Amino acid sequence: MNNKLTDLYKTHKPYSQYALFGIILSLLPLLVSLGLVKYSLLTTVASILIYSIVALGLNLLLGYSGLISLGTAGFMGMGTYLTAFITADLGLPFELALIISVAVPMLIGVLTGLVSLRIEGYYLAIATLAISEILRKVFVEFDFVTNGFSGKQAQYPKLLGFLQLDRNGTYILIVFFLVLVMVMMHNLVNSHTGRALSTMRGSEAAASAMGINIYRHRLLSFAIAVAFSALGGVLYMHFVKYTYPNAWILMLSLNILAVIVIGGVRSISGTILGAFIVFGVPDLILKRLPIIGSIDGAAYIFNGLLIILVILFYPNGLINMRYDIQRNFNKQFKRGENING
Amino acid sequence: MDNMTNKLLKVENLSIAFGGLKAVDNLSFDINDGEIFGLIGPNGAGKTTVFNCITQFYKPDEGNIFFKTNTGEVENLVGKKTHELIGKGLVRTFQNIELIRELTVVENVMVGAHIEFKASLFNQFFRLKKTREEENRIRKRAEEILDHFGLSSIKDMLVAGQPYGVLKKIELARALMLDPKLIILDEPAAGLNDSETMSLVNIIKEIKNERNCSILLIEHDMKFVNGLCDRICAINFGKLLAIGTPKEIQENEQVQIAYLGKEDD
Repeated sequence: MNNKLTDLYKTHKPYSQYALFGIILSLLPLLVSLGLVKYSLLTTVASILIYSIVALGLNLLLGYSGLISLGTAGFMGMGTYLTAFITADLGLPFELALIISVAVPMLIGVLTGLVSLRIEGYYLAIATLAISEILRKVFVEFDFVTNGFSGKQAQYPKLLGFLQLDRNGTYILIVFFLVLVMVMMHNLVNSHTGRALSTMRGSEAAASAMGINIYRHRLLSFAIAVAFSALGGVLYMHFVKYTYPNAWILMLSLNILAVIVIGGVRSISGTILGAFIVFGVPDLILKRLPIIGSIDGAAYIFNGLLIILVILFYPNGLINMRYDIQRNFNKQFKRGENING
Repeated sequence: MDNMTNKLLKVENLSIAFGGLKAVDNLSFDINDGEIFGLIGPNGAGKTTVFNCITQFYKPDEGNIFFKTNTGEVENLVGKKTHELIGKGLVRTFQNIELIRELTVVENVMVGAHIEFKASLFNQFFRLKKTREEENRIRKRAEEILDHFGLSSIKDMLVAGQPYGVLKKIELARALMLDPKLIILDEPAAGLNDSETMSLVNIIKEIKNERNCSILLIEHDMKFVNGLCDRICAINFGKLLAIGTPKEIQENEQVQIAYLGKEDD
């Protein structure tokens, strides 16, 4: 099974698959306007895609570098507030807001990493937990910028200063960024930096002996993870158009970890699958079921149970189920052949 | 720093202690250009500690380690960062094979040329020309080495699940990627059967002759060491017992005592 996994993953150029995935997702607004699916489905799917971007960054950190961050939500929240401040309060263009709102959290991430990553990898988890809480406190207390508990608003993005997007347009922008991030991730993990990260995670001794600067690469992967979190935050802000402190709590960071554990560590498609399960299933299915739908916190129970089951049966994530399905299919097929022959 | 015309590595008065235990005690030896040099000793003699001091995994308490780098300059390795050494022409393998299970065979070997990659992060994100050129060039070199070791049929398989003898060869292939001046092998024959050991002896000799480098190795298997090494350094309890040709070492009384014990009356 392992060797098959390589064949599929390593030698394949998945650009066309990613593009196809993007095109299919882009058809959703059309289905909404035709009345085939509910209006609210677009919001659910958009947030799933945003969380996919964030989770892809975390997967680079967890799956490839073997580090854990518990500050994902904080950095994402920081992205939302920054872009809201820059576009709504300062009236500056969306593109500039995007760059600054990704760069500033990245800088703070690097500073956090500079301090915590020098000793041992797992100090990052503690440091990011602290940073995340500090950020949330900032969102509450600095109310002259953040409006405190009442939250902050922003508009749909205006591209290049004249192209005002609507809800559907912003959704397409999110799809575009997701596909872009998928392509970037795929390229990175299959280049020398990706191999260096994997080596570092597998054996620090081998990594240093091969000339890989462990500290530098830990910092690098954390900076990328933070950048993707902040990018997710920016997109969230301009789609949902509203942010408030309690949206960026530890629970969200843990849910994004759950996306990776459930979907698939070290897998791009697994991350997307995980995001659809963790952020999609509770909204789209659980809430509609009788009895279960009325239980408060059914989503938490669902995710908790799922994590236990996945770790028991698919420790590398549900995405690996496809190999089992394929194998069973092949077995059935071969049996049929034998009977015939 | 004295004359190192024909010498590649010079270990001078090396000492390191862990708590009260002197693992290496005032040890000196040197390795000539183009030499296969063996470091032997009974279990716990401090052989791996010496290796770890040379490769800067441990920082020695005392002593110097002079090394003639790629550029021909002589540098003291003590105090250098572990990850800087490969760029100077010194590379090592590990006793408990340190390969990455999640990467393919050829990818593992490519990691050996990590410092040669210069493409920026942006370049890698979008797989631009420079990234593609580097990837192709270095992948090709890795494939050539694997081919030389007769491993081209498994190059795209994952490392996980490969037999032990194959893993040893992959690790050796990884060490060769940058044409090192000195290759340090930590128990290369451990866990290999007789025919695998024979094939390893040939490979190591071939590497030395074709690549014009020196090899420093630790080994328990005396037959292996005697058949392969030009000179041997025997140590016990971190102290030097003797340095010489395999024949001289075999006949040395102190070495015999260390290995076989003293005959009691």
